Amino acid sequence: MRKILVALLAVLMVLGFTGCSGNNEPKQELYVFNWGEYIDENNITLFEKRYNCKVYYKTFDSNEEMYTAIVGGDKYDIIVPSDYMVERLIKEEMIQKLDLSQITNIGNLAAGLKSPDYDPSHEYSVPYFQGSIGIVYDTTKVTLEELEEQGWNILVNPKYAGEIYMYNADRDNFLPALKALGYSVNTTSDEEIQAAYQWLINQKKTMNPAYVTDEVNDNMIDGLKALAVAYSGAATYIMSENENMGYYEPKQGTNIWSDAMCITKNCQNLDLAHKWINFCLEPEVAEANSLWVGYTSDVQSVIDKLSSEGGEFYGINAYTPRIGYALDEEYHDDLTLKTKLAELWNQVMFAE
Amino acid sequence: MMRRLRKLLSGSYVWLVMAFFYLPIFYVMLFSFNKSKSLTNFTGFSLQWYQKMFESRSIREAIYYTVIIAVIATVVSTIIGTLTAIGLSKSGKILRTIVLQINDIPMMNPDIVTAIGFMLLFTSLNVEKGFGTILLAHISFCIPYVILSIMPRLRQLDDNLAEAALDLGATPFQALTKVIIPQLKGSIISGALIAFTMSFDDFVISFFTSGPKISNIAIYVYSSIKRINPTINALSTIIVVIVTTVLIIVNVVPMIRERRKRGIQK
Repeated sequence: MRKILVALLAVLMVLGFTGCSGNNEPKQELYVFNWGEYIDENNITLFEKRYNCKVYYKTFDSNEEMYTAIVGGDKYDIIVPSDYMVERLIKEEMIQKLDLSQITNIGNLAAGLKSPDYDPSHEYSVPYFQGSIGIVYDTTKVTLEELEEQGWNILVNPKYAGEIYMYNADRDNFLPALKALGYSVNTTSDEEIQAAYQWLINQKKTMNPAYVTDEVNDNMIDGLKALAVAYSGAATYIMSENENMGYYEPKQGTNIWSDAMCITKNCQNLDLAHKWINFCLEPEVAEANSLWVGYTSDVQSVIDKLSSEGGEFYGINAYTPRIGYALDEEYHDDLTLKTKLAELWNQVMFAE
Repeated sequence: MMRRLRKLLSGSYVWLVMAFFYLPIFYVMLFSFNKSKSLTNFTGFSLQWYQKMFESRSIREAIYYTVIIAVIATVVSTIIGTLTAIGLSKSGKILRTIVLQINDIPMMNPDIVTAIGFMLLFTSLNVEKGFGTILLAHISFCIPYVILSIMPRLRQLDDNLAEAALDLGATPFQALTKVIIPQLKGSIISGALIAFTMSFDDFVISFFTSGPKISNIAIYVYSSIKRINPTINALSTIIVVIVTTVLIIVNVVPMIRERRKRGIQK
């Protein structure tokens, strides 16, 4: 017993020493809270070297998780919430105004991100990644003409019964229904919501769709079904692994989203935080991130480079989501709507 | 004939259960060696995900904190849990029942409730979250498992042995370390192992008590699963290998020692 304890203590001490090494002088610190797998980590090291600082980089899995941690008093300098969450954080005064004069690279922003609904003049936030939701389809089974003709309604076309993946996530599950019926994704009308609910119930009865989340990627790469609702980022990956797959954004409109860098209210190092945002907008940095993650960059020159001939995502239209289309919408922060949709979605899931 | 059939059936049942347990793990391990990014199509052998894993500073830090927190939490919670259990076995029935019931609550409670509870507690006390807070949280949710593992064995102990030790001139501390604890050794070790694994793979409580500086393997893995990445498989493989090795050592070393002892006696 004693031997075991001694061994444990020895292990602890070794670990302790390696953990402390390199802590010889106090450096400036920056606390970043970002999505998991959302950065090329070499960029963190690069930033630390350039500004002689230490970056504490932590990851989260959902906006709500991040929000709870912030409300719970965790002190981060930079956070990267999604559109609707930026809206809420501005409302609740949990993030602060940016000093745009320090973010000289803001002109690099992609065309589609110049004025997002949640923060049109970038007072509080600078986009980090972006994307849309669309239909991934097997070009050997479905034609583009069919998709253009039917849009979201192809998901209720009996011809493809049993050939469909629906995306099972907050609000995204209602997107095809709302858009197929010509409604806004931010609708507050109970009638419209009920109609969308009926659409989903009918779909479940007639189409026998599979409700999935991220397993859709591998399943579509293997070509298991003909159609899938998917994020453009996932579609980019699917298309680069299986050239028979295509990505289509229906003319009835869809959801476009972006995640954006913000500086928290209790940021400890404003100077360094602005430097971080500016750093992420540099073309080389943004390119490395986009290549690593596979999502559409926030920097226009990177999008152009990677999607042009010879670029990593050449010929993959999912990498360049549609911009400036009137029927494409961002999700707005609306807790009542969100709760309502979640309840109805449960009923869809349990419907016979 | 009948007997042989029955044997065959019971044998295949065991294999079925084993397959159910181990196939997913095997699957994860297999795809950590995949050449491509896919998690369903094996295209060839490669070690690139292991290389990527060791290159990633986040993973290195996560492994470091996971191990150090698990080790400290195990040692501390095992000591506290063992002493509590021994104390309880000597206390009155009412007190014991009450404490044991309270001890059950953290285990029955959903993790998320415990996690938010810890978070609010630390926030309201204005404690900055970091290594200390996550460690405290881990120690506290490990203790009930240690107590639960030791209590049944304690009930079977012969009280007279400890008393005999005291009669024969042992100090109370000697009676504890030389008589009671050796008898409990098996259940203490199994309690410690449970505590270690609970701490090692905890996500929810860690996420809400760790603050901005600390991240463990569970937090890293959980926040990375949205994007396809076989480095997670590589990481899982290494964890499985470590855990298996530890279990083998824990089980095999006493056997070898026993055999050697018997050899000396002969």
